[in-house]
Amino acid sequence: MRADRPYLTVLLWTLLSLLTLFPIYWLFVISVKPAVELFTTPSVLLDTVYWNNYVKVLNDSTLRRYMYNSIVISSGNALLVTTLAFMACYALSRFDLAGKENIFFWTITNRMAPAAVFLLPFFLLFTQVFVIGDWKLYDTKIGMILLYCTFNLPFAIWTLRPTIDAIPKELDEAATVDGASTWQVIREVIFPLARPGLAVTLILTWVFAWNEFLLAATLTSFNARTITTGLSEYVTTTGTEWGTMASIAIITLVPALIVFSVVQRQIVAGLTFGAVKE
Amino acid sequence: MFRRSGTIVAALAAGLLATAAPAMADFWSDAGAKYQGVTLHGVTESTPPSNYIKDVLAPAFEKATGIKVEIETTSWDQMYDKAIKDMEAKTGIYDMVYIEQDIIYAYLARDFLVDITKSLKDDPSLKAPDFDESRFTTFANYFKNADGDLFGIPMEAFIKLYLYRTDLFNDPAIKEAFKKETGKDLAPAKTHEDYTQIAEFFTKWGKDNGKEIWGSTAQAHTGHPASWYEFFESVAPTFGVYNWGIDASKNYAASVAEGGSMNSDKAKTALKWWLHLRDIAPPESAASTWTEVGTTFAAGRAAQGFVYGENAAWIASDAEKSKVVGNVGVALPPVEPGVMEEAEAGKGYIGYYDGGAFGLPVTSKNKEAALLFLQYIGQDSVQGDWAVAAPRITNTATYDDPKVIEMDKTLGGYYTMLKDQGKLFAGAPPYPFHAQVREATAPIFYRILTGEVGPDEGLDQMAAAAEAELKNLGYRK
Amino acid sequence: MRSNRVGWLLLAPTILILAVFGIVPFLYVLYVAFHQWNPFGANPNMIYNGADNFRRLVFDAEFLTSVWFTLKFAFFAVASEVALGYLLAQLFMKDSPGKGFFRTIHTLPLIVAPIVVGSVWRLMTTPSIGIIPYLLNDWFGYDLNIGRDATSAFVITVIMDIWHWTPLVTLTLLAALVSLPKEPFEQAQIDGANRWQIFWHVTLPMIRPAILATVFIRLMDALRTVDEVWMLTGGGPGAATRYVGLHIWKLVFPKTDYGYGSAISVIVLYLTLVMCWLLYVGLVARRDRKRPS
Repeated sequence: MRADRPYLTVLLWTLLSLLTLFPIYWLFVISVKPAVELFTTPSVLLDTVYWNNYVKVLNDSTLRRYMYNSIVISSGNALLVTTLAFMACYALSRFDLAGKENIFFWTITNRMAPAAVFLLPFFLLFTQVFVIGDWKLYDTKIGMILLYCTFNLPFAIWTLRPTIDAIPKELDEAATVDGASTWQVIREVIFPLARPGLAVTLILTWVFAWNEFLLAATLTSFNARTITTGLSEYVTTTGTEWGTMASIAIITLVPALIVFSVVQRQIVAGLTFGAVKE
Repeated sequence: MFRRSGTIVAALAAGLLATAAPAMADFWSDAGAKYQGVTLHGVTESTPPSNYIKDVLAPAFEKATGIKVEIETTSWDQMYDKAIKDMEAKTGIYDMVYIEQDIIYAYLARDFLVDITKSLKDDPSLKAPDFDESRFTTFANYFKNADGDLFGIPMEAFIKLYLYRTDLFNDPAIKEAFKKETGKDLAPAKTHEDYTQIAEFFTKWGKDNGKEIWGSTAQAHTGHPASWYEFFESVAPTFGVYNWGIDASKNYAASVAEGGSMNSDKAKTALKWWLHLRDIAPPESAASTWTEVGTTFAAGRAAQGFVYGENAAWIASDAEKSKVVGNVGVALPPVEPGVMEEAEAGKGYIGYYDGGAFGLPVTSKNKEAALLFLQYIGQDSVQGDWAVAAPRITNTATYDDPKVIEMDKTLGGYYTMLKDQGKLFAGAPPYPFHAQVREATAPIFYRILTGEVGPDEGLDQMAAAAEAELKNLGYRK
Repeated sequence: MRSNRVGWLLLAPTILILAVFGIVPFLYVLYVAFHQWNPFGANPNMIYNGADNFRRLVFDAEFLTSVWFTLKFAFFAVASEVALGYLLAQLFMKDSPGKGFFRTIHTLPLIVAPIVVGSVWRLMTTPSIGIIPYLLNDWFGYDLNIGRDATSAFVITVIMDIWHWTPLVTLTLLAALVSLPKEPFEQAQIDGANRWQIFWHVTLPMIRPAILATVFIRLMDALRTVDEVWMLTGGGPGAATRYVGLHIWKLVFPKTDYGYGSAISVIVLYLTLVMCWLLYVGLVARRDRKRPS
């Protein structure tokens, strides 16, 4: 690590952070302005703060349920996807499977589909195929957790594969020679070294699931509805309720931030293994 | 908007329950007894009238009958997509769907909806004593088939009006300046020329006086159908071009050559008139849907404009969202000579009568219980508070409700206009291909707005595109 | 060598889930693509019409323009994001006070839902009263009107995308950089290589798979973008930002043209696939040439 000119780095970071933060700051501004103020000459600074939007949103039990659903679905999906992708990438990286590069490429094609058209077959699958008695996959959290695999698994496999490929094969071969089982190799050799990659995968799959809109809007209705879908309720033909929407968006940043700061430490943990020098 | 806080909802609900007559309560609990354990599912848009159903009427109904009701509110596009998928795939998820006036013909053509009149006749035990189809305003006619049977319970109805700022129009200095410049007295316009003159005057006045004010609104978004709607529903009819210029009796002709009027001289004049207004309207007009037009007017940036009734109400009365409370006047839109006579004779119309109803999909698995709920929200007794919470009127008796009369005053006489002059306005034409033809022609319309295509040439192309799409869909032979 | 059965077993759940939720719906869409089907047409049923839909789209100017604009959008957005994201990831590799704090700030845009991103940018860019046009006018006398000017609207969608998605690139590249072994860099420094040489000959070859994966993901997501742009411009002015994802959405949702919409989706899927395949083969081939094994 070069320790030179840290103040320059800090200055650069501060400037970049301001640019990054501005739209989020503006989101906050929108959330604390009465609607009547939104369409007048703007000013960068806030003069008065109006908390009514937050009061309204925090007292709404439906939104709390949406939030809970979102947390369950995104966390469930991120954990499932990261685990499956970790297994898959290990298999693709360490085994000599017939046609594995084609399988690898095929996984990503599942993310290419423009969603709008695929809603119809998904809808039919969820309401007419995966049905047991009165129970349908439609409007269930487990349904959404499974469905989000279609775009998250390809992503996870593609971001994890380079990480696992980069772990020297000699390490697990040595462990195998010492009599370790596949499971032990994965847990004790690969997992610690893949931690930065796994952390990033977990974070980003969580983000994709958290932000997904079109599928959730079509395939959930009362029970499994997510907060992102809830946001669209404020876009109506009589007008968009910018303030309410912005205040919900600001509130949803909180759980996301918690997940982020916890998992992000794992990326840094990887620094103990190796680091780039310039 | 008239979105209530939690306490108001509770108060309204309590008031509602207290005023329900005991005899009615008997009917509802008796009728509901058979359907204990049933949960009804509805889907609608999250507008104030729908939210009132969700927050007030559904819980009240549940208390009266024991039937649980869950109303899902979502955005406009989502609502249609979900309802259509459900009815198309016959999954029976929904027992109630919101039907906007412009989609009813598509649903009727597909036999998606239950005939409410017939069902109640077939099973009189379901008929609520306080429900009577004849109590609805004429707006209910839009939800009837050729035999006069009802397929939807009207739950909201509005007209798109001409709004003007009474404070500006009555300002002596402004009146004098206007008189000096034009030689006329400043008053809400009756003709298109007058309207343009007033608009030009105020835009110039705003510029000269360093004020953020323009002469007219324009719902002229360059990528959203709102602009298309403003032209075909609110501007073209005032020039005598009705039903989007498509003539159903002539094999759905749109072009003049085939017998339509989408690219007629009248339509071209109308478009140029409106484009000129757009140019002297506030700069945000090019990115304005109905949302922004409402907010532009509410922020006091326009002296006059065309605004949907549901927005007109909060602009006139809600100080939390509007800076022009108490300064809003309502008038009929300006028209070309002869158009008003045609409208009065029932041969034309001068603007858009907008609204929606709740219908019962044939795929529902709880039709009887759903019929009870639909009747519940159609009763006269629930309308007064509903109209106050979300300004909409669907039953004739509601106009005489003291609370509504009181509110009419704050709204500058909007309800009176709806009652007396509502007949001059009309809903969307009876086309089962409403959204399809709109989407086929809108991209050309957006290009007219950006100036890529001239208005005359653009309308010619739109007429051709409409006919091609109608042929493709199989309506035009 | 361990048994391949274990390998297949590890891969099985992934293949199963993707087959059920990936292949089955695709086959359905492919089937619909060969039909005329609009539930609100005079005949609401599916009518087999051979390859008519595909024949129609070859001459569909609206669709072709939309593909062209989408490619432009994806190119500018993804290229900037990868370049910027790499630089930021390198910056994060440096030690500086408050690094964790800055990193968290930098990832914030990711957790704002696309529909909200579109809303904020719409309010920030509303002609004359949004903060951005207001300041531009105040400082430079420039009138930004994304409702009128196609180029401005295009640029704003690209900037919005860069703002929203650069953090994703930073994070994935950061994970890749962090996992790199130290030795090659130390060796290069001993050999007296300068920064540029180290980047070109050491760093880049080692993180190329990670860059490739990131470019793929960003590229295909940019090609499918709907929510943000729908909220920001609705596809306007004219068709300037009616990117292909939004174009399909408009065909399928409001217009309910399921048959034609499916055909276009199949073609878009196919184009994306070919583009990615070319990229993939190009990069893998280069890697094989450099490191024969």
